[in-house]
Amino acid sequence: MNPWSVPRLHLITDPAVCSFEQLCEWLPRLLQAGVDAVHLRAPGVPAGELLKVAAELRRRIVPPAVLLVNDRLDIALLCQADGVHLPEQGLPVRAARELLGGGRLVGRSVHSVEAARAAAAEGCDYLVYGNVYETASKPGAAARGLDALREVVHATHVPVVAIGGITPDRVPAVVRMGAHGVAVIRGILAADDPIAAVRAYRQAMDEVRGDGDSRDIKRETGGAGRSADNR
Amino acid sequence: MVSWRGTRLRDALRLYVITDRTLARGRPESEIARQAIAGGATAIQLRWKTGPLSEALRVGRELRELCSRERVLFVVNDRVDLALALEADGVHVGVTDLPVAETRRLVGDQLVVGFSPETLEQALEAEAAGADYLGVGPVYPTVTKPDAGPAVGLEHVQRIAAAVRIPVVGIGGITAENAGAVIRAGAVGVAVISAVVGADDVRLAAAQLRKVVDEALAERQ
Repeated sequence: MNPWSVPRLHLITDPAVCSFEQLCEWLPRLLQAGVDAVHLRAPGVPAGELLKVAAELRRRIVPPAVLLVNDRLDIALLCQADGVHLPEQGLPVRAARELLGGGRLVGRSVHSVEAARAAAAEGCDYLVYGNVYETASKPGAAARGLDALREVVHATHVPVVAIGGITPDRVPAVVRMGAHGVAVIRGILAADDPIAAVRAYRQAMDEVRGDGDSRDIKRETGGAGRSADNR
Repeated sequence: MVSWRGTRLRDALRLYVITDRTLARGRPESEIARQAIAGGATAIQLRWKTGPLSEALRVGRELRELCSRERVLFVVNDRVDLALALEADGVHVGVTDLPVAETRRLVGDQLVVGFSPETLEQALEAEAAGADYLGVGPVYPTVTKPDAGPAVGLEHVQRIAAAVRIPVVGIGGITAENAGAVIRAGAVGVAVISAVVGADDVRLAAAQLRKVVDEALAERQ
């Protein structure tokens, strides 16, 4: 998978924050405003119901945006998702690749440098690391911080998507640490104006990359903390 | 791998033991399964309701290896992807899980697909959609409440078993004392959790159940 084709602005669903009916209504405008990837994530929702939601999302999520299914590879296969996002404790990447076939994205959540290295060795297309800041989606989980994000970014050559309490204002700092993109739940779905929120994320990402692309720096120097000089 | 679909499935459904960590009182699934198979279990189902999937994978690999060695049917509950990743012999879905037709599409024609219908209509639909067997229950209220009421589910088993061509397994509150009636109602076997997994002597409990099932099946011939 070409790292440049890895989505940068990831929207993760959470039926406790926003119903699927509401999400489907917003989706065309969310995608138009700049969401690159939608992760179907709904822990506790039975598979039969999840499959119906997945089919609805599949109809609405068209290229260049991609639909990723969290954890359930069987549902990703059935709804013809563009890929699967595996939890840190989820299925092996190899199983996902074998079952999904070529041309699909396989990502994994990681919460440490060790897990990032293991996931990269498995052949993940991208990693999601967090929570970078404190977040209402994980109450009580201490922020892991920007330094930890940078360590994970430099631990592998796999693009890292940052998650956890990331607001548009925090995007520049996160991208300067070398993050390839950001993943958001409440920052978009609980915003007063979700469409405006997407635009704000998009603009923040495009601006900071316009004034010096930190991942280029990482690639040129081979990592090892040099991107910190870019601050 | 030889498919379990077809004629040998009936024999493999005689004593179907489903794992349950909370009832196992700290004994690992592989140990429970080993004892159950030694006692006469013909099928083992990995049922994973809580905890990380990585743990289900670890346990599932142990059960996969054990069941292959012992030539026992190995089924995974609900998660078709886990069944495929573990190279299980079958997968079992319920009414809120992935539909039977979609499950069949994912697993192809080699794996056994089981389904738990709640109604006769669902049973017939599942058979038409490609299910290989049905788990029908709860036959009895629950084994933890032996005095909880009459065996209202036997009639349900009888009705469904008479209406479908695929084998039916009774489930729910089944013990060595009442398993014979389930077979006489038309089931080819019984599925149990607590009667085996929760037993002090897993092997003995499985052996007693298996004996009752085999005797009832022999009478039916």
